[in-house]
Amino acid sequence: MTIVLEKSDISKLLEELSKKYSVVHYQKDKIALSAKSHFFAPREKLFSFLFQSKKLSVLPESKRKLLLFGLDQIDLEALDQLDEIMTKPKEDYFYLRQRKNSIVVGLSESSIIVPVTVGDLVLEKINGNQYRANPLTKTGIGLINNKFFKKEKNPKIFNYPEEKNGLRELLKDSELLAKAVYHSWLRKHPIWEKLEKTCLGCGICTYVCPICHCFSVEDEIELNGSECSRCRSWDACTLNNFAKVAGGKNYRPNQKYRYFNWFYHKFVRAYKEYGKSQCVGCGRCQKYCPARIDIEKVLLEIIKDYQNEKSL
Amino acid sequence: MKNLYNPETVKIEKIEALSSGVKLLRLKKRLDFIPGQFVLAGLWGWGEAPFGVASSPYQKRYFDLIVRKVGTVSAAIHSLRKGEEITIRGPYGNGFPLDFFKGKDVVMASGGCGIPPIASLIEYFIKNRKKFGRLYLLYGAANPNEILIKNKITEWQKAVKILLTVDKPSPGWKGYTGLVTDLIKEIEINPLDAVAAMCGPGPMTAAVEKILKPLGIADRRIFVSDERKMHCGLGKCQHCTTGDKYVCLDGPVFNYDQIDKNWD
Repeated sequence: MTIVLEKSDISKLLEELSKKYSVVHYQKDKIALSAKSHFFAPREKLFSFLFQSKKLSVLPESKRKLLLFGLDQIDLEALDQLDEIMTKPKEDYFYLRQRKNSIVVGLSESSIIVPVTVGDLVLEKINGNQYRANPLTKTGIGLINNKFFKKEKNPKIFNYPEEKNGLRELLKDSELLAKAVYHSWLRKHPIWEKLEKTCLGCGICTYVCPICHCFSVEDEIELNGSECSRCRSWDACTLNNFAKVAGGKNYRPNQKYRYFNWFYHKFVRAYKEYGKSQCVGCGRCQKYCPARIDIEKVLLEIIKDYQNEKSL
Repeated sequence: MKNLYNPETVKIEKIEALSSGVKLLRLKKRLDFIPGQFVLAGLWGWGEAPFGVASSPYQKRYFDLIVRKVGTVSAAIHSLRKGEEITIRGPYGNGFPLDFFKGKDVVMASGGCGIPPIASLIEYFIKNRKKFGRLYLLYGAANPNEILIKNKITEWQKAVKILLTVDKPSPGWKGYTGLVTDLIKEIEINPLDAVAAMCGPGPMTAAVEKILKPLGIADRRIFVSDERKMHCGLGKCQHCTTGDKYVCLDGPVFNYDQIDKNWD
């Protein structure tokens, strides 16, 4: 028995769910930002402090649960990674609080080959009109308990392969990526000099990345001086003052270091820390880079030269 | 789930000016820490910044921070008075490997504002003096006025051999003149059974290592407290990374060979 949802019922389902939850229909092609912004906001207030009464309060979470609908398999994979990063080795209270106060429903246009390990429910395309419901949690089971989901004995099930994606192919060998990226730096590969000149240091690649999670915390004071809010904002390791300490020393003094650090963290340090690259090949950084840096091309060049050198 | 970003409020028991831009803050709180660990001290409206704890780990009634006025938060802290409040998170990081130091000669080197964690380490040694071999402190500053916690230094001299040096001596200066590295020839240790503990400007710690290593103190036995922008203290925000390490979690104390080959 397969539980299916008609494609034409999606909007009605979301309408029904918005009676109970604050529903966000995430549509990748309509927004540059990834879904991470719903759990780790571009700027969020963490604490509020009243100067006169010295009253400190943690900003309350929203009373309505968030239901984030529409993440594809790539974005679900990214969310799974971010969950792990925010949990280990120490827990990030604000991220996890928001994660616990939310429900994630995936919507996959391709067939599921590798089991999904994050989210509450994944809807998987099985034919032109229907999705199969794959609940992953009790909450997920609860979500399919309504008139929109129907049991069908023999629905048409087609195989929809994942769209061809060169970057995702590269990511299958994260060990090679880790070695090649680090090697390129040790051997002073000219690509880093080239990227220093190309990269504008704007940080967009990290903002649109579904896994990048650099942040800064700063206090914001009300104009009348009565209250201050401690706010967390996205930061980016590619911005010029990211590694600057009080007194003025900048540990990554030029763009070459900063841009390489982005790669180093994603492909080298992440591999050592978590056994995989902190990249899922979603393509956002390639699409939105104003300097048109294509990380797939960068990686290909690095790998090619690494392998040539190894075979000599 | 514990909110690790939530700081604790502590009262300032005492403030003492140590030099023109450096103040000591005595904070009324029991802090259980290992010498070398740091805290994030903060002020609402200004933010938080990392400081190594300078007092004895055995002192349970209060702890001391030594704050040089170099950034926004430290400048705001300098404007505080006795009795006012400050926020604290921590202690964070690893601290010096005290057990590994046991039975060995210890060369401590410090310069500039690197004295706080070393001061705490010395207090620990003094309390356990018999468990350690010969103890040296090589401490350099720009001029005699910049030598911090002079009264402590006098007190420590009974248990630790202290060599002070300055770039610019003033009349009546009884210490050395020149670099911290110049002091190494004055010490007597068994390099094969000695360790080094350093905290100071990068060029200084690098120069000291260049001399200690050929003497026979392997990089594995040279410990340095590294500086980066420890911002969240939890290994999340990414500001303090160097190579594969987070200074806030894996450090700030590292074996020299853990960090000297880091690309950044």
